Amino acid sequence: MTILPKPAAAAAGLLVATVCLAPEASAGDGRLVIKVGRIVTNAGPDIENGTIVIEGGRIRSVGKDAESRWDAEVLDHPELVAFPGWVEAHSMRGMDRPNENIEVAPFLDVRDSIDPISFYFEDCLRQGVLAINVQQGPLCAVGAQGRVVKPFGLTIEEMTLRPASGIKISTTRPGRSRALQAQSVRRAFRDLRTHLEKLVQDKKDGRDTARREALFQGRDPDTADNKKGRAMEGSAPWKVKDFEIVPRGHVDEKQEPLLRLVEGKLMAFVSCDGAVAVVQALEIARENGFLANTVLVLDGDAWKAADRIAEAGVPVVLSPQLLYTERDPITGKEIETFVPGVFREKKVRFALQSLNPSSQSLWFQAATCVGYGIPRDEAIAAATKVPADILRLGDRLGTIEKGKDGNILLLSGDPLAVTTNVQYVVLDGNLVYDRSKDRRVMQILEGVEQPNAAPIGTDDAEDVDPHSGEKKTKTPKKD
Amino acid sequence: MHTNVGWLALVLAGTAGAQDGAAPARETLLVRAEHVIVAPGRVLDAAQVLVRDGRIVAVGQDLEAPAGARVLEGRWVCAGFIDPWSALGMAADGLAELNATAATRSIDGFDPFSLDHLRREALRAGVTSARVQLGAQARIGGLGAVVRLVPGLGRDEAVVAEHSNLWMSAGLSLPTGMQFVETPDGFQMVSGNRAQDPFDRVESVDRIVSALQAGRNYLIAQNEHRHELEDWKKKIAEKEAELEKESKKAKKDREKAQKDAEEKGKPFEEKKYKEDKKPATPRFDEDNEVIARAVDGRLPLLIAAEREAEIRALLAGTASHGRLRLVLAGGSEAVHHATELAERRIPVLVWPAPLGRGRPDELEAHDLSLAGRLSGAGVRVLLGSGGRDPSATRDLPLLAGLAVAHGLPSAKAFEALTLGAARALDVADRLGTVEAGKDADLLILDGPPLASTTNVRFTISSGRVVVTPEN
Repeated sequence: MTILPKPAAAAAGLLVATVCLAPEASAGDGRLVIKVGRIVTNAGPDIENGTIVIEGGRIRSVGKDAESRWDAEVLDHPELVAFPGWVEAHSMRGMDRPNENIEVAPFLDVRDSIDPISFYFEDCLRQGVLAINVQQGPLCAVGAQGRVVKPFGLTIEEMTLRPASGIKISTTRPGRSRALQAQSVRRAFRDLRTHLEKLVQDKKDGRDTARREALFQGRDPDTADNKKGRAMEGSAPWKVKDFEIVPRGHVDEKQEPLLRLVEGKLMAFVSCDGAVAVVQALEIARENGFLANTVLVLDGDAWKAADRIAEAGVPVVLSPQLLYTERDPITGKEIETFVPGVFREKKVRFALQSLNPSSQSLWFQAATCVGYGIPRDEAIAAATKVPADILRLGDRLGTIEKGKDGNILLLSGDPLAVTTNVQYVVLDGNLVYDRSKDRRVMQILEGVEQPNAAPIGTDDAEDVDPHSGEKKTKTPKKD
Repeated sequence: MHTNVGWLALVLAGTAGAQDGAAPARETLLVRAEHVIVAPGRVLDAAQVLVRDGRIVAVGQDLEAPAGARVLEGRWVCAGFIDPWSALGMAADGLAELNATAATRSIDGFDPFSLDHLRREALRAGVTSARVQLGAQARIGGLGAVVRLVPGLGRDEAVVAEHSNLWMSAGLSLPTGMQFVETPDGFQMVSGNRAQDPFDRVESVDRIVSALQAGRNYLIAQNEHRHELEDWKKKIAEKEAELEKESKKAKKDREKAQKDAEEKGKPFEEKKYKEDKKPATPRFDEDNEVIARAVDGRLPLLIAAEREAEIRALLAGTASHGRLRLVLAGGSEAVHHATELAERRIPVLVWPAPLGRGRPDELEAHDLSLAGRLSGAGVRVLLGSGGRDPSATRDLPLLAGLAVAHGLPSAKAFEALTLGAARALDVADRLGTVEAGKDADLLILDGPPLASTTNVRFTISSGRVVVTPEN
């Protein structure tokens, strides 16, 4: 994945967009006091007429009468509701392209593919999704490492919340049979093992030869303990013996991320498009000892394997399609299954996933869950706390509590109500979004022209530079 | 009884929504029958079979029911039928896979969550386990697996043999001849035409023969390397012991040489050390690893071939592999080579399909007397449902009946469905007979097996009563 050189015009457009979205991103040291009518802390009962104090980018105190320094900026909105940001546990969007041609490529990183000015991130901010785990698409056997990002920032570094959030593994690939795909995934791990074993064997052989050479030449054989590396860690049923004699730097950098996965230091996001795929994913995870750091990203009828998922104790990210429909083969009757309900019953930790930021954003998914009978706090948790925990960011995101990141949404009403809008977004203590100044929203609601859009009604729209709004000067044809 | 009610309710509720864990519980069972077919040709009258923890514990004529055991009664008892050529549970994409290699595992393409209603039908008909195979038309279809057909079993129990055989096919056209038709029972593979082009046909046999040769070479290289490595290790150990012994002298020599060099003002140079290089490990190849196992006789090799020309070429091409355990699948024109097949003890897996089942070589292959004629010529015959249509496994006993009607002795047909299939697929230590120690896969019938008037009263799979007269 290489960053395509963006035209300078794009950069200019980005600046304009940023200014539009964040007119008050000024509290540089992140010292802010937020006073609202209600705080949905997501960690206990709501607080009426509460105050949130953010200092140094973190929440310092939450309560009815939290005190702050006199010079702090104040957002005083008794008509609004404060809510911790939504967390997207798994997304394939925001990249220049979601898939790769290489089948086994754990050495790649979505860092090189994420496009900070993607409209997707802008929309996430508008919807209040404040952490997104960007992962490669499922067209791979073992794919790139993902990354948890904030939807705000000019560079990928600024956006990053957590690098190397996990490796993408796919047990299903469209246009290919399951068995061949499983063969590819297994082969990747076998290749790793072969590589490590060869490293150890070569090292041993070299040492033995050196000893014989020394004896022959009359030197003292080198008896120093040359343990330079670390023994293999993790809980894989296979272990490479004497791995500690190999310095870690000798491991092929293309294999190294897989080794970290097997050692339990990196997570795996395994795409499963059905129940069989789940069985295979769990099997491969067990065979290679990374079950404890596995998250299943489900689709199709994968819920039918809920018992096995519960038994394995792994968390899941659900398909955006919350209802599964099938036909009884005998009666022809349509059977609908509400997927989150199945996992709730089996006591499997599940996170929700959005399909499209506007029509099925995370709040909508959570609201749908409530509509189908899942308790409100659990439904909200499935799009906040649970994904935060799954991404191992539970101590930073998901609730409004002391010590957590200063990420607050100021909503016009209840977080699950259809009529609610995100009015302000505070990210790390900085006000980064103000709906009243969101040009795109203004354009839709009030018909205000965007500075970077073609004027409405222009006939020759294609001749207008999409970023500056100026008419392109036509270069005369040379003969 | 409680479990039966649950089972019934589930069937009524429809199968599509059925989840994991739907199988009835394992029980301690005492089965009483007028005749127990212990093994093909061995019948015990007025006998009982005791089942505990999924296995047959005892077979005898004076067994009493232990406390708490469920007693089942019937007239005849025999081992559950095995379909050695089935498509039940294989996803369509796996069946159609043409890019499989020898190491591709059918078990990875097996979907235990699909077609529950067909599995139940197969169990009702007495078929308790089946060999599933991906790449039905691939030149090389990979490793087959033997699985139980009970829906909702855990993986360990559902899989009898993860790698039961290697599968290849000769003489089918690629890849246009492959089509699936959606049916109420999922799908059916309707064609897979025979290759018309003679070069195509020669090439397909050639591929198989050269793959086997490559596997054998791989095996030889592995063995040679093992010996070379042993020799090298021995030699090096001797050398090292010698060096150890002379290390004091070497030290003195070195000191002397250093002194000499210093006196002469020359730089000191270490003596050059030489030793035999360690033999390089042959490259690991997952496909040749599997083919080598087949060539070495550790894995049965099933090759699908229909026509005389291919069968002749295959027999000639495999004659030099003495350990190969070949099974010919299809074999509609195998009669011409019956003598050689009998001599080389190569079983033929026959699909006694009536006309219109969409098999390759439709016109030649519908001859239902094939099994009888082969058997008459001394060839071991196996019977399967063709590996194309998932619903056909249910019909296996009917197909066997057709073969019997067309000349196959009934005893041979029964053997083909039980011990014969188990032996051919290397699972005879677990399936195929009613003997102590084997898996409790039993049928309780109200008449002799394979008779058209006989009903399956109970089907037992690994100690679970999965079919009862009530359901």
